[in-house]
Amino acid sequence: MSDWLGPAEWQALALSLWVSFFATLLSLPFGVFIAYALARWQFRGKHILNVLVHLPLILPPVVTGYLLLLTFGRQGAIGSWLYDNFGVILAFRWTGAVLAAAIMAFPLMVRSLRLAIEAVDPKLEQAAATLGAPRLWVFVTVTLPLILPGLIAGSVLAFAKAMGEFGATITFVSNIPGQTQTLPSAIYAFLQVPGGEGSALRLVVVSVVVAMGALLASEWLARRAVQRIAGS
Amino acid sequence: MLHHWSRRLFLAMSLAAMITPFVTKAETPVTVFAAASLKSALDELAATYADPVHISYGGSSTLARQIQHGAPADLFISANAAWMDVLEQDGLIVAASRRTLLTNRLVLIAGPDVDPDLTIEPGFDLAAALGQDHLAMALIDAVPAGIYGAAALRSLGVWEQVAHRVAQTDNVRAALMLVVLGEAPYGVVYATDAEASPDVRVVGMFPEGSHPPIRYPAAPITGANPAPAQAFLDFLLTPEAGEVFQKHGFGLPGDGA
Amino acid sequence: MSLLVDIRHRLGALDLEISFRAPGGVTALFGRSGTGKTTVINAVAGLLTPESGRIELDGEPVFDTRSDLSVPTHKRRVGYVFQDGRLFPHLSVRQNLTYGERFARAKPRASLAEVSELLGISDLLERRPGGLSGGEKQRVAIGRALLSRPRILLMDEPLAALDSARKAEILPFLERLRDHTDIPILYVSHSVAEIARLATTVVVLEGGSVARSGPAEHVLSDPGMVRQIGVRDAGAVLPATITRHHNDGLTELSVSGGRLFLPEMDTAPGTATRVRILAHDVILSRALPQGLSALNILSATILALRDGDGPGVIVQMQCGEDRLLARITRRSADVMALQPGDHIHAVIKSVSIARTDVGAG
Repeated sequence: MSDWLGPAEWQALALSLWVSFFATLLSLPFGVFIAYALARWQFRGKHILNVLVHLPLILPPVVTGYLLLLTFGRQGAIGSWLYDNFGVILAFRWTGAVLAAAIMAFPLMVRSLRLAIEAVDPKLEQAAATLGAPRLWVFVTVTLPLILPGLIAGSVLAFAKAMGEFGATITFVSNIPGQTQTLPSAIYAFLQVPGGEGSALRLVVVSVVVAMGALLASEWLARRAVQRIAGS
Repeated sequence: MLHHWSRRLFLAMSLAAMITPFVTKAETPVTVFAAASLKSALDELAATYADPVHISYGGSSTLARQIQHGAPADLFISANAAWMDVLEQDGLIVAASRRTLLTNRLVLIAGPDVDPDLTIEPGFDLAAALGQDHLAMALIDAVPAGIYGAAALRSLGVWEQVAHRVAQTDNVRAALMLVVLGEAPYGVVYATDAEASPDVRVVGMFPEGSHPPIRYPAAPITGANPAPAQAFLDFLLTPEAGEVFQKHGFGLPGDGA
Repeated sequence: MSLLVDIRHRLGALDLEISFRAPGGVTALFGRSGTGKTTVINAVAGLLTPESGRIELDGEPVFDTRSDLSVPTHKRRVGYVFQDGRLFPHLSVRQNLTYGERFARAKPRASLAEVSELLGISDLLERRPGGLSGGEKQRVAIGRALLSRPRILLMDEPLAALDSARKAEILPFLERLRDHTDIPILYVSHSVAEIARLATTVVVLEGGSVARSGPAEHVLSDPGMVRQIGVRDAGAVLPATITRHHNDGLTELSVSGGRLFLPEMDTAPGTATRVRILAHDVILSRALPQGLSALNILSATILALRDGDGPGVIVQMQCGEDRLLARITRRSADVMALQPGDHIHAVIKSVSIARTDVGAG
């Protein structure tokens, strides 16, 4: 296997896994919060928030990447603020790749979490409140364990989406080997040159294996979580 | 500020236009598959052409693959010779009618807020000018502009110093955009791209010998609709059309390119 | 230990205006469905915010629109037993029971072991709610509420979802709770049998307001309440003491107006209990009946006669210190020329004193 992929491809694979892992981790708390708000709260602008969350699903990825560049780039409103105040640079860094992948994967994660939260009976949360538990504790001890299967499914979906993200990533953080060159970038590069199909295909196989592995793992985890809830 | 935003908006819109698939059906009008960098010049010429012309712009590799899979193109204008060679080997183009339509040059550009003090010559200190920032280029292994650019920097002996600071984009216009937005202070693009954007400064042209010649071959597609395609190609080869191409920064093969 | 409720709230087409005070013991909120029972109990728990009014627990306001006060549910310290149990499916019975423990302000009055013992769930502690029967779930729910050391227990039709066998299984536990803890209970139900057995105080809701409230014995034997309670369920609840068990299978009880014989009970002599005598099980006689098979005859004085909706009349009687209700026909009342103040003999068909209507306590 180590001969099958060159060092640059190994690097791209490792970086993809790394970026996707952190993208999933980063979007998880925000995803849970926004999914909860959408599922449970009534507030002004709920529909607008819903549309905003789903925007990366509808917009061409290149446009999402471009908007990221405008806001989180060195010259962008948030990007320059981050740099001036914290010295944080996202553009052309793996951190930027994480942000791009997280934003692209976010709608999938929120959708899956929202469904899971809507399936939790609010009456159980009420019951916990009558037993003296404050809201956050209720969330951690009742809601969260009950949405665990949905949370796992959403995370894996987000991870898989992040693994495959290309358009927004290359537009926002371009393609720098070892920093931002992910698996899809490498596949894209191979497809641009005549005769690159073979190499591209090998990377596609690797992608498929990783994605299927993740899906199978999530199936197994989700089933275990469901069994834990059902108990008996 | 307003100017700044309108510029960004324009870029966003042109970007969106680039990725919008423009699928056409072969009827009497001639259908042209052309490299994206030709857009402004070809649009202008098509408007003056007597018959209707449908042009689908895209990356040369994407277009070539579409033609391989039977896309209804009459004429293909590629930004690099390699993909035209592939189509010729596959017998998909009328080899006898293949012409080098245009030439192009590579330039080093600087962003609006950069004060360049650089002369392109062997061993020029591009690395120092970049500092911690990046040099925007198209994919150096895959996209022609990136391949030529890397070759040029190599032959000038500066590639080793800057290689780790190169931000590669999936097409040359995206590299231009990074420089326009100020995200990267310098970039390597075609002369025609620099011409298209008033917001960047051309630091200098890369010497012609520093990279393989940049040629735009054109050829009618076999079988489809050869006569109208040939007619439009002939039109593009007229001196009048040549003037338009030159206005947009292209060179003509006769210029000694 | 007391609860004060004085709230106004619009519920669909119904304008609720409900005001009552619940002393210690079991206060039953009685009424047909749609009279606002659950709204009241949810308002006490803080799960619903009434439009205006005031709610006090032990003299401490937990809701008051005048001072813009609404203590959040988790700070009210109410133990709520829901009709549907609402056990946490992902936690074991033990974890369910101890869920509220960390928030209890003081050590629970009773330990987990004691409560499990009281409710008969000691053997279920390591199980998951998914595998429990309906009755077991409800007992765990009661234990869970109890162990959060509430100032009051709220029970919203806790037995409604259970079949009669399961009900019979849980009722004794509720009675033990009433008699062995000092936690007041607000008990919502539309079952007169349950209320007659459990309640010390009854609040009858009708059309969005309180139709009648007071000690259970008074409210249930109030002929004016027959319409709300329903003719079939109308009857009196009398405190009684078990005197002795006879060899022929009967148990003798004494009430303030005499003695009663019931089919043998397994309760020890000297135990206080309550008996429920349904109005349609009582026959009236001017003279002391002779040669009659009925064993239970109490002498009484007529307090009031009240016409019902149909051909019936409800007769309310004073019997010792207690009150009895009889439902007879209008014609009989006319023939007998019954008047308030008349002395009368109430013949109670002993076989019809339903055993489930006999409460221990």
